[in-house]
Amino acid sequence: MTGFMQHRWGGWLAAGALALLGAAAPQARAQVQYNVSISLDYSGPFAAVMDSWYGGQQSVFDWWNDTRGSKLGVKLNVKTYDMRYDASQVARTWPQILADDKPIAFLGMGSPDLVSLMKRLPNDKVPMIMGTAMIGPLWTANGWHFSFRPTYSQEFAGLFSYLQSRLPDKRALRIGTVSTQGIAGYVDQVNGVVKLAQTYPERFVMANSQWVDNTPINVTSQVRELLAAKPDLILVGTNTAQVVATVKALKELGSKVPVVTSSHNGLTEVAKAVPLADLEGSYSVFGFAPSMDSSVTAAQVFEKYNKTKGTWGLTAAQTASQALLTTAAVERAIATVGAGKLTGQAVYDALLGPAFGADNFLGLLKSVQFTKEAPFPTSNLSVKAVTVKDGKLVPLSADWMAVPELAKW
Amino acid sequence: MSMLPSGVHFKDHAQELRLLRTGPQRLAMGVLLAALVAFPFVASSYLIGVAITVAITMIAVAGLQITVGMAGLLNLGQSAFVGVGAFTAAALYANHGVPMLPAIALGGLAAGVVSILFSLPALRIRGLYLALTTIAAQVVFPVVVLRLPASWFGGSAGLGVDQVQIFGLPVETPASFYGVAVGVALLMLAVAFNLQRSHVGLVFRAIRDNDIASSVLGVPLGRYKVMAFFAGAVFAGVAGGLYAFYIRYVTTDQFTIWLSIWYLGMLIVGGLNGPLGAILGTLVVTVLQEGIHWGGNRMMAAMPQVSGGVIFSVTNIVLGAAIIWMLIREPHGLNHRWSLLKAAYRIWPYPRA
Repeated sequence: MTGFMQHRWGGWLAAGALALLGAAAPQARAQVQYNVSISLDYSGPFAAVMDSWYGGQQSVFDWWNDTRGSKLGVKLNVKTYDMRYDASQVARTWPQILADDKPIAFLGMGSPDLVSLMKRLPNDKVPMIMGTAMIGPLWTANGWHFSFRPTYSQEFAGLFSYLQSRLPDKRALRIGTVSTQGIAGYVDQVNGVVKLAQTYPERFVMANSQWVDNTPINVTSQVRELLAAKPDLILVGTNTAQVVATVKALKELGSKVPVVTSSHNGLTEVAKAVPLADLEGSYSVFGFAPSMDSSVTAAQVFEKYNKTKGTWGLTAAQTASQALLTTAAVERAIATVGAGKLTGQAVYDALLGPAFGADNFLGLLKSVQFTKEAPFPTSNLSVKAVTVKDGKLVPLSADWMAVPELAKW
Repeated sequence: MSMLPSGVHFKDHAQELRLLRTGPQRLAMGVLLAALVAFPFVASSYLIGVAITVAITMIAVAGLQITVGMAGLLNLGQSAFVGVGAFTAAALYANHGVPMLPAIALGGLAAGVVSILFSLPALRIRGLYLALTTIAAQVVFPVVVLRLPASWFGGSAGLGVDQVQIFGLPVETPASFYGVAVGVALLMLAVAFNLQRSHVGLVFRAIRDNDIASSVLGVPLGRYKVMAFFAGAVFAGVAGGLYAFYIRYVTTDQFTIWLSIWYLGMLIVGGLNGPLGAILGTLVVTVLQEGIHWGGNRMMAAMPQVSGGVIFSVTNIVLGAAIIWMLIREPHGLNHRWSLLKAAYRIWPYPRA
């Protein structure tokens, strides 16, 4: 009897387990897997920040798979490649990525990815999503590369507009620049700001431009000449070495003129070389919300899902935004073609659809709208910035700062 | 003339001058060519990509061997001449419809013409002073490209190459571009080997060994020094043309002084005294780079608790140490070591003197 009962209970248990498995199995079977390939740089100039860089992307993809993807029946497998920030390495790795991964999207790092892949992507039908700001020469139509950030010059223009509107007498903001000739992207940053001053002469004036070495040791004489033109701020959008040299020169000359940087050469990085006190009043400006902004819920996602040695900061916030744009496009593509028919073309079409709402981006971005005319949003642009106040890095403004309209230069 | 196995003798001077003088040499070359043909059928697309990069780099380093190794004129601006070739070839192909191979050849010619300007100081100075003037090429190149009208070379936007074709056939796959790159590299290396034993090559070597003595013997120093720069830059320009079609987009940022220094480093590791040095140096440094990166990636996967930045900083130190070790062990370059190995093989079992 006992044996019979055991058998009967065992049978019921087995049947229950099978029923549960049966209920779960269709869902598991229905989950379709796709690859998203990512360009990283563990052995080039960005190796030191790569853990945080990849941490931002990895945590978002893991979070998406765990929450939204599982409901939609899609899992995104992330495939990473050390491209060494080298165009040749990208060119020789790309055929392998196409053949092995068959990715539905590719997350690029910077100009080596753009240079090597821009002309190949339309044929290969894989959209590339960037996290860096763009440059004027890439403001071309019908590309398969996209960034949620506009050009560096437009991002700087957003901060300049904000600062000019707060000048007591509403006079024109006097802008000084430190940059390098011979590097196309750096020259373009200055050209864009020159265009801004030409477009709004009553609001912005180019006080002086200084051209220095790419990685200078000392720029005191150039900064002295620049200060003679009485700038309200000095834009150094190029690299960390130039920001550090400029800040040291300002200290040597006893000047308190603030320095304006971007995200890649921002105050967090500069503070590793000079005391934060020497950066008092300086700015970093970019097209996403600062990592320490209270509205950014992506920080909790990073905290829960990050598997790297990286830490939450501006770098991780930037790449998390990049990954969130990718997942938003994937979700839209699923809604259009179905979970089983995702392709690079479907993701590309999704990117060019209506605006992506801010609710897709965990507080990191406002709505994002792409058109075929440019590889980045061109309308209703806005930026956020951080500044050093009382020796601490804090968001400059809780609100997004509007970017003035700027035509191609 | 290098030592030959016993029993090998020539009936005329032309036979003695041949690059491949013995049956085993011709057999070895045949096997090498067969291996090069078979490679894209057995290798992964990534390895084919590495081979393409090696072929392109080898051409540029072989050009540097002519200027620096053969003629003794130190040049730290080779990357700028690669850039001139790349921009010229891309502009001719994209803007003027010149076919790929003629565009690459004209890119080489353009680099040669531009090099004449920077070779003029060689008429007055030499050694490290000359090296400094060649850096000027590196500094001036991006500034000029950015300042020229954008319709010429794209200005700050750079230049893109849309569809790569030869005789109307697409060159889109790694294997097809491998065929083009290796074919051009073999042609250029054949030119380099022949140049070395030509009258011009002999004059170059005389200038390298003692330019005052060679001028006393009637060598027009100025003309030959300019020719040495021209020849080296033509090689660089051809390499640049291939690079433009491989990467499909050229900007000034891609041709830095660090690239010039890498070219020189590869040549020193391989040996300055012959085109074989360019081949060995490029191959060995690339294999070292790739091997160390492969090891770094494996370490990163095996040790998730260690930052990737730390691992690859260590791999760069290992790469530098390996190159220094090789230079200490063989200061004349791998080319010299190869000659010693050949000689030892030919007189085996007798000991090398």
